[in-house]
Amino acid sequence: MTHSLHREGPLDLLNKEYVLFVYPARGFNYDGSGPKAKRLVEMLFHQGPANLLVTTLRRNMYSAISREEILDSIKDGTKIFCVLEGREKIKDTLAKIKEMDEGISIVISGVIDRVREVSAELGLKPHTINLSLGIHGKTDRLPPADIRQFTTMCGHGMVSPRLIRDVIRRVKTGKLNLWEASLIAAAPCSCGIFNPYRSVEMLKDLLPLYTVNRL
Amino acid sequence: MLIRKDLCVGCGRCQPYCPVGAIHFEELKSVVDQEVCYECGTCLRAEVCPVEAIEESPYVYEYPRALRKFFSDPNATHALTGIAGRGTEESKTNDVINRVKPGEVGVAVEFGRPTLGMDLTNIQKVTRAMAKAGITEIEPENPFNDLIQNHDTGDLKPELMGEKVLSAIMEFKVKQDQLGHVLRTIKKAAREVDSVFVVDVYTRLEPGLAVPKEVISAVEAEGYTRRPNAKINMGLGRANKTVRRKA
Repeated sequence: MTHSLHREGPLDLLNKEYVLFVYPARGFNYDGSGPKAKRLVEMLFHQGPANLLVTTLRRNMYSAISREEILDSIKDGTKIFCVLEGREKIKDTLAKIKEMDEGISIVISGVIDRVREVSAELGLKPHTINLSLGIHGKTDRLPPADIRQFTTMCGHGMVSPRLIRDVIRRVKTGKLNLWEASLIAAAPCSCGIFNPYRSVEMLKDLLPLYTVNRL
Repeated sequence: MLIRKDLCVGCGRCQPYCPVGAIHFEELKSVVDQEVCYECGTCLRAEVCPVEAIEESPYVYEYPRALRKFFSDPNATHALTGIAGRGTEESKTNDVINRVKPGEVGVAVEFGRPTLGMDLTNIQKVTRAMAKAGITEIEPENPFNDLIQNHDTGDLKPELMGEKVLSAIMEFKVKQDQLGHVLRTIKKAAREVDSVFVVDVYTRLEPGLAVPKEVISAVEAEGYTRRPNAKINMGLGRANKTVRRKA
């Protein structure tokens, strides 16, 4: 899955956001990965992720699920998907992961230059890169870019453009605040990498540009 | 997906949740357009229906309709691979499995992304173009292989032509010197489809998180633009000792 690769949005916000995957390799280190993944999730919770999901539960942090339920569900082969905000946070997290040395593949989706800097500071040797070469085909059928910056936070396409427009309408008519709107937008994402904090920032900028045609 | 007409109260709360706008009002009740619906299950998982009128269709797991579910619902497990989602690992575990080696480039064409989805007729236009260009070996662990009738021609199974998927990933690898030819073929095929796809390439890194210049040259020569954000395998994984001994 490359669902975290094609995140769109303003560069200043992309610079601050890092998607982190913990990914056991089927047939190579699945066996015994459960306790390792659990330790990593406990550490990630301490880091304060913007969102997190484990594949054994497929419900993100904003889906009325407790940390204990998330930890209890982890078994061999469980993958972890999370979003961390801030360069220092990702640097500290990677330093801890390096020290823990659990031996499970770690993947970061982020601005290449920022990850390069952090890797150099920590003495890490990144192995493989997956580059996005953009969208092709009938691109005029796409939702506009200001909506896509929300919907592409869930790379599986589970966050609907219509939902984003609906929460914008509800914020503008006073039914929701920015955080409530962002949690509603985050809820359908079943890969746990929709970042409600970035959503709040983007909504602040976007709201003045939209008008409401119904209450 | 279906909405029970006898239960639906016409509140419309479910409608914004459908990624492709398949739910609309008919005679004051919400109805799912079965032709548009990708069976992704987002409307049901949203749990916003006050009367629990949304349910899976009785035929959602019947072939060939089941294709929609398996490729559109990231929570569904593919019958072939037993893996949820699109079922590919691509670059994510390359530090352990070493699938893409130095001098090689992995390529992925993610049909339907972002958000629009794509029908099999249009996917076949690309698979045929790729086969004509000599790309016939698709990543074997990828459930995309399930769709292909003839790898040499790129023809998909004919019974699937009426179906559509929110996303399906065609994944293969080539030598670095073939990358330009592949990217050129993809760009040409993009003109023929009536939806969208995203393209990505993955490669081993040189020291200092440097992308091999051969890859950059090929990408730029074919007129592609690299996004500033990427997915980076940090090189922290390793195989279990028992597996290494067997190898």
